[in-house]
Amino acid sequence: MNADARGWRMALVPDALINPPHRLRTALPDVLRVLESSHYGVLQLPPPGGHSLLLAVIADQVAEYAHHGYAVVAIGVRGEPGDGLHWRRLAPLLRHRAVALPPRHLLRPDMDEAAQRQRLAAFLADYDLPAEEQRRWRV
Amino acid sequence: MDPNAPRKVALVANCLLNQNAKVCEGAHYRGLVSPVVEALRSRGYLLQQLPCPELAFAGVRRWWAVYEQYDTPAYRAHCRRLAQAIAPLIEQYLRRGDEVILIGLDGSPSTGVRFTSSKPDWGGRPNRPEDDWEIVPRRGIWIEELEAELARRGLPPVPATGWALDMGRFDEAGSRRDLEQFLDSREKAVGSRGDDSVPS
Repeated sequence: MNADARGWRMALVPDALINPPHRLRTALPDVLRVLESSHYGVLQLPPPGGHSLLLAVIADQVAEYAHHGYAVVAIGVRGEPGDGLHWRRLAPLLRHRAVALPPRHLLRPDMDEAAQRQRLAAFLADYDLPAEEQRRWRV
Repeated sequence: MDPNAPRKVALVANCLLNQNAKVCEGAHYRGLVSPVVEALRSRGYLLQQLPCPELAFAGVRRWWAVYEQYDTPAYRAHCRRLAQAIAPLIEQYLRRGDEVILIGLDGSPSTGVRFTSSKPDWGGRPNRPEDDWEIVPRRGIWIEELEAELARRGLPPVPATGWALDMGRFDEAGSRRDLEQFLDSREKAVGSRGDDSVPS
């Protein structure tokens, strides 16, 4: 086995940012590229719609990470239904699993793309668990 | 651009977008497996991440395991539940005529497509690196259950390959060539086919 390379950080990401429709493609930064260069993994959220079973599965995964020293954030899109995050249904599922709601960063299609890319990168770089939590789990 | 035009959709193993899902000591990348993401996006594929069955079942601090250890009624039932969670999305893609492919994780006991890991006598305390395991040509348990769920819904088999991350020594350049050959072969197959879309 190699030394483990995991980054210990990940983002909940709406489908609309992973597979952006044409109208968002030029207005928003390439989020996967920013996440890759920030060493974050991805938890993809489904497109708008029901998906209650899938959201419960995603909540289970977030809980497992959050309870074991991983940092989880959420990236939304202003103007998409629920910012693309299914927050109204995901938030109670997370609370039920004793998980604090992940910090959210919202992208805005009406703002400059380059500035948003920088703001997103800064948000991702700045966020992590407290050092004590990192020491507890990340050995 | 016609919004109803068929799209290309890649179902990707969970850990190809999030290496934090890997078993302890198994992550080769910080987050995304960028060669896979690049190969798919550069060819116009939409990405659909599959759930990770091992993470949700045995946790993020699980030991490594082989096919036989996960081949239990409880784990298969868990995989079927995950398959039922993601299958409606896959069904939507297939029924609207999208070209859907699957990129799994060769060598994985769960997500292997062409190969899985096998050692019928594994058990008890793990003591790698002394332990060894065998690679056998077979689906992993999660992929078997996902394909069974799609078949139950009357959907055709999805063309599939695996990124060879769990085959022992990982060869990124070889894996990349292998994936690109698969994707190029799909281009040719789709280009030469007639209308074989799924009835709605």
